[in-house]
Amino acid sequence: MPNVIPKTRYDAVAQTLHWVIAALIVTQFVLAWTFDDLPLGMHKLALIARHKSFGMTVLMLAVVRLAWRLTHTPPPLPATSTPIERFLAQLTHVGFYVLLFLMPLTGWLMSSAKSYSVSWFGLFTWPDLIGKDESNFKILRETHDVLSWVLLGLAILHVLAALKHQFWDKDTVLRRMLPFTNTETRP
Amino acid sequence: MKPYARMTALCSLAVLAVTSFSPSTAAAAAGTYVAAPAQSRLEFVGVQAGAEFKAVFKKFTAGVQFVPENLASAGIDVTIDLNSVDSGDKDRDGTIRGPDIFDIAHNPTAHYVTRSVTKTATGYAAQGSLTLRGVTKDVPIEFQFQPAGGGAKLVGTAKLKRLDFGVGQGDWKSTEWVKDEVIINFSLALTPKP
Repeated sequence: MPNVIPKTRYDAVAQTLHWVIAALIVTQFVLAWTFDDLPLGMHKLALIARHKSFGMTVLMLAVVRLAWRLTHTPPPLPATSTPIERFLAQLTHVGFYVLLFLMPLTGWLMSSAKSYSVSWFGLFTWPDLIGKDESNFKILRETHDVLSWVLLGLAILHVLAALKHQFWDKDTVLRRMLPFTNTETRP
Repeated sequence: MKPYARMTALCSLAVLAVTSFSPSTAAAAAGTYVAAPAQSRLEFVGVQAGAEFKAVFKKFTAGVQFVPENLASAGIDVTIDLNSVDSGDKDRDGTIRGPDIFDIAHNPTAHYVTRSVTKTATGYAAQGSLTLRGVTKDVPIEFQFQPAGGGAKLVGTAKLKRLDFGVGQGDWKSTEWVKDEVIINFSLALTPKP
């Protein structure tokens, strides 16, 4: 029966969400590292505004992505994966999902505490989550900062693991998330 | 002189006295107010990177002359200490006080004074001029006036363009990230002038 053959690839929706979010996160890091060094002024304001708009986009996509993940079974890991590899993969992926929510949420909270409401590309303004409070802002900024390093660490692990699968294990793990590739013929 | 005639003469004098003195003395006592600082509020609403932000002036003085039946003598006079701006963020307040925005080192106060007040369908409107950053321009306001106890409540709003007053030099002249339009809201708790 064709419908019991396990999937070998992530579907188009999962792939699109993965790569769009990945591109947004790379953009977020570039923006944040750029405006961190700028003095308070128009240029910094503009970059922070874009960072917030992209961040809220990630949050909305994270909701879609989590819903998609919970209703669609991903392709199984290769049978050769060891229990520790399976555990690490699971841990990294769960960590990503948690951070996809925590990064935008701490950013949103930070903006509220600093009394700079979050606009989405100037189209509408998100409500403030908490009142203005300088000490809360400092705690939230610290949290946002620390989480960004955790995210960066996870992303490096994730990329290295994908490359290991592709070039060391020579399996289909990377290709099943890559569009326009073939995973049907196993090596 | 007959007693009756004397009384008539006295009465006429009394009427004369009342009619000649009442416009100045009675109106001044009835319609001259100052704003009570603690219960009054003056704020502006700007749009920065697509999101509104509010800032209040913690220090300002307002003198009001207002009798609804005598709008010809009505007037509002407000002096604002620009250094008292509070937008909820010290960094932003610092920028607002700085040379590119209010430039309080050279222009520590702003002044608003009305020229004429008229009745509208919903309340009152006033023509007046605002002096800010050394520039004086007309800014009309709309307001409601409601007697409350011995005093009154004066609540209103105005719109202006910050760049008309040079508020925003250098990069801040751009309206891409900080809108030109600014809304002013005020709520004055008026007490009779002592």
